[in-house]
Amino acid sequence: MSGSHATLPAVETILLWTGKRGVGARRFASPYVGGFFEKTFRKGIAMAKITFPKTGLSLDHIKINGDVEQMKIDYFAASPEVDIERAELLTDYFLANGLFRRDRITALDAAKAYRHILKNRKPVVRHTFGYKKIKGQKGMVRLDLRDKSPFAGSTTSKSKGVILYPEWLALTLWPELHTMENRAANPFQLSGEDADTLNSKVFPAWINFNIMDLTRNKVYGAGEKSSPLLKLHDYLVFFLVSKFQCISHTIPDFKKALGVGLRGVIDEAKTKQAKAGGEEQKDFYQAMIEGMTGIIEYSHSLADEAARLAINAHDSEKDELSEIAGIYRNVPENPATTFREGLTTIWLCWIACHLENSNTGLSLGRLDQLLYPLYRDDVDAGRLTPEKAVELVCHLWLKIGDHVPSIPESGEQLFGGTGSNQAITLGGVDENGEDAVNDLTYVMLRATELMMLRDPNLNCRYHPEKSSREYLERICEVNVNTRATPAMHNDRAIIDAMMKKGESEKQARDYGVVGCVEPTSAGRGYMATGAILLNLASALEMTLFNGRHRHTGDAQIGPKTGDPAKFTSYLQFRSAFETQARWLMKQAVTLNNIAGGIHQKYHPTPILSTLFEGPMEKGVDLVFAGAERNSSGVAIIGFADTADCLSAVEKKVYGDQSLTWDDLMDALEKNYKGYEALQTELRNPAKTPKYGNEDSLADQNAAFIAEMLDDEFGKSPHYRGAGIHYRVGYWTMTSHAGYGRLTKALPNGRGDRENFTSGITPVSGETPGLTKTLNSVASVPSRFLSSGVAFNIKYTPYQSMVVDGENEEAIRAKMIKSFADSVAGYFQGDGNGSKGGVEIQFNITDEKIFRDAQNNPDKYVDLLVRVSGYTAYFIDLNPQMQNEIIERTEYDLFTCKAVTYNL
Amino acid sequence: MTSANQLNEIRKRIEAKFTDAFLDGLMEGMDIAFGPVGNVLLPGFKDNIKGYDAKYLFTAGNGVSSSAIFKDGKMSTNSGAIKDWDTRVSFSTPAALRDFLLSKDQDILNSILKNEVAVDGNLAMIYRFGFISRDLMGRLGIGQG
Repeated sequence: MSGSHATLPAVETILLWTGKRGVGARRFASPYVGGFFEKTFRKGIAMAKITFPKTGLSLDHIKINGDVEQMKIDYFAASPEVDIERAELLTDYFLANGLFRRDRITALDAAKAYRHILKNRKPVVRHTFGYKKIKGQKGMVRLDLRDKSPFAGSTTSKSKGVILYPEWLALTLWPELHTMENRAANPFQLSGEDADTLNSKVFPAWINFNIMDLTRNKVYGAGEKSSPLLKLHDYLVFFLVSKFQCISHTIPDFKKALGVGLRGVIDEAKTKQAKAGGEEQKDFYQAMIEGMTGIIEYSHSLADEAARLAINAHDSEKDELSEIAGIYRNVPENPATTFREGLTTIWLCWIACHLENSNTGLSLGRLDQLLYPLYRDDVDAGRLTPEKAVELVCHLWLKIGDHVPSIPESGEQLFGGTGSNQAITLGGVDENGEDAVNDLTYVMLRATELMMLRDPNLNCRYHPEKSSREYLERICEVNVNTRATPAMHNDRAIIDAMMKKGESEKQARDYGVVGCVEPTSAGRGYMATGAILLNLASALEMTLFNGRHRHTGDAQIGPKTGDPAKFTSYLQFRSAFETQARWLMKQAVTLNNIAGGIHQKYHPTPILSTLFEGPMEKGVDLVFAGAERNSSGVAIIGFADTADCLSAVEKKVYGDQSLTWDDLMDALEKNYKGYEALQTELRNPAKTPKYGNEDSLADQNAAFIAEMLDDEFGKSPHYRGAGIHYRVGYWTMTSHAGYGRLTKALPNGRGDRENFTSGITPVSGETPGLTKTLNSVASVPSRFLSSGVAFNIKYTPYQSMVVDGENEEAIRAKMIKSFADSVAGYFQGDGNGSKGGVEIQFNITDEKIFRDAQNNPDKYVDLLVRVSGYTAYFIDLNPQMQNEIIERTEYDLFTCKAVTYNL
Repeated sequence: MTSANQLNEIRKRIEAKFTDAFLDGLMEGMDIAFGPVGNVLLPGFKDNIKGYDAKYLFTAGNGVSSSAIFKDGKMSTNSGAIKDWDTRVSFSTPAALRDFLLSKDQDILNSILKNEVAVDGNLAMIYRFGFISRDLMGRLGIGQG
């Protein structure tokens, strides 16, 4: 039985959208903003329909083709190569134009520099070789590549490149320039010649001009070189400000690039420039023109290179290269008129975004919505089949993963195994609140299932009242088949939370997921969602030790809130915790705001600003609040552990008074040695209230924390201006393992150096019942979780339940149904005003496989896992993080009980 | 003395202090490496500080300080504190500083994580110093495993 067929005038929509149809169509110049373009584009979004039969939504008849398969094999075999092209071109431009001597970099300065890079970088149409590591050997060996991608160009000149951003944190790699090929984990290839260029020219130029040291100088003030605020940051155990690393964590707006082409965008900028009042604004529009021109020049150089290669190519490769040349001469300069052109436009704009901004959480938004009009039109006109569409998407997914972050070796301990966290969002509702799932949603799900890549990080939106059961079961099925993706987001809860923060209903309904899990109004909300990572357990630690932290010894860090042994009530203790927490939040915000000011002075973003709603209309760069919507995001680490500590103190010390402060502090000092019975009791949800068990005391403490954090950050001042505030999210990447290593024993029974729990997930091993866990997490009010959550759940794979191969298909089907039931229940809420759980993500791998992967990593190069937000390859993670994933509570979906529960 | 012998001599002097007086050994080694002997025995090493102008202050847990000053392609070292440093590295023990600069499978961040080393002033300069130290050790075959 077919789903509801497309009856909307797709062809007409595209005609209206682009002004002309067919390959070679030229730009449509029109007053599109808020008028014709917007209306036609919105019409495109609103026409979501499904033509695939309900029983065929998996598209499992579509297989990976030979070229893609080979490229996938090469992708996994290749080691990342450090690419100095961008860093050297940028440095050369800055040196030649005296920019290192300037005390401000304008948007126009920056745009000219980026255009210089785009114009002068090597146009790579076919990557012919890379490098790979051979186990047990020093260095790397050459790897021949068979690149057949329909998408020319790459973020670096390498097939899998480490992009260097010397203005951000690339200089942290300096000590490793001669040794990074032989790192124990995640080695990078770097030639001796390139290392010399970095050491002698590139890095020295930025030694005083990188964002981190410019910020430090600002914090120090005149004549000073030391600051308590920076010390607090440098201790790492309290908070991290990511503005030293990126602006990122946002979603560009590709609609204009698709709809009118970059030439149309340039024309609009010229029109605005002619009417602009001041020189600064005129320069800003000129910056937009420079940036877009640079992208066009780059696409033309790729077209020329493809045409050159085609001369000596044969057969299908000759045809393919000629087609690439034709497409790249047309887009992104002109409106995209086919699905492939649309993908190409996005790909080239994406490259440009990464040449301007570091590869940290830049995300692509709702690609199934953006590209659906082109897909539909192509399919209806017989120019495209779902099979070919899946193939194209597979190629694009491979391209998106063509770069990795430049993390120094021990940075792996905090952020080990991370990719660039390029989120893509599928499904959900449209701006009218209706189901937006379409055929392209299923095409992209199938491509994801076939490729099983770390990047892009796939996220699916689900609306409890609007999304279909078939769609839910399909995204569960993809999780079962990939073991870890996509993550699932509850439209009802998220849209409500965003509206409470000021987004209009239409803006909120058009949210996309950024980086790990953070919802952002796509293309119009500059939310910098990963601006601050805050270790909440440090606030608790300072509460226990009257403003001191065991990691920093005798230093008085936070305010003196008193000796807890003298507190006479739990509320007194909680109040001291609140004082410490609010103080810590203020410090983090202060430093972030100073760093934001440095961004405004030295890192304007003309390319991203052009590809965004707001800056064109306002004539203002994103870093100065040019976006439609503005905010910064904080990610909280140690949420569940801290909540459980509060509950343990409330119940044991002040409730039944079975524990004295003296004993508790002595137990913490001794890491529970000699207090093993107490530790067991504190870890046992039957004896001590634990978040994640529908225990009202525990869940109230969790809710208290969420409300307090939302309140403090929600009223904190913001560097981009009045009325802009911070939002709070609960996702931790791998930081919960890294911060755990810095933290000693805590009152919830957690021992020295043990991992914290990821995201908003309850503490591992302490939640025996699945239903209670889901309900408990869903009970944290979603209005306080506006920057997203990562709720990690591990389900036993169906394969582990099959005995002797019997009834495998039935067991698999039953698991997917139960899986979907669990998600639907979690998202449903309790009907008493709750909007349901916000987000949930999965690992569908059992301990046996994880242990085997630890022992035989070469067998599991593509074993995908959810960390806390992003996906990673299990074997890339450091041992502590691997063990954290293994130790997560695993549930049997048929019994709804934890299979690893030992208490 | 042959070149090989001279190199061995430098290596020995650094290694002799590798554990309990690491910074002294490193400074001594750098002093030689950036000097006339180093020009001959370690070609290219001096390029690491071409045009580099920076002052480092190192302060140990016991309060003893020393400094390294790079200027006009030369390095000078002093015992005792200087006031106008660009980067100050405070470390708990010589071993902590050694790990901070040279540890095979770690890097600077790792030492900060362990809270045994703190840096004030310009942070990028310490990454450069880390490279110079590792380069010297690599050329001498010391402590790189």
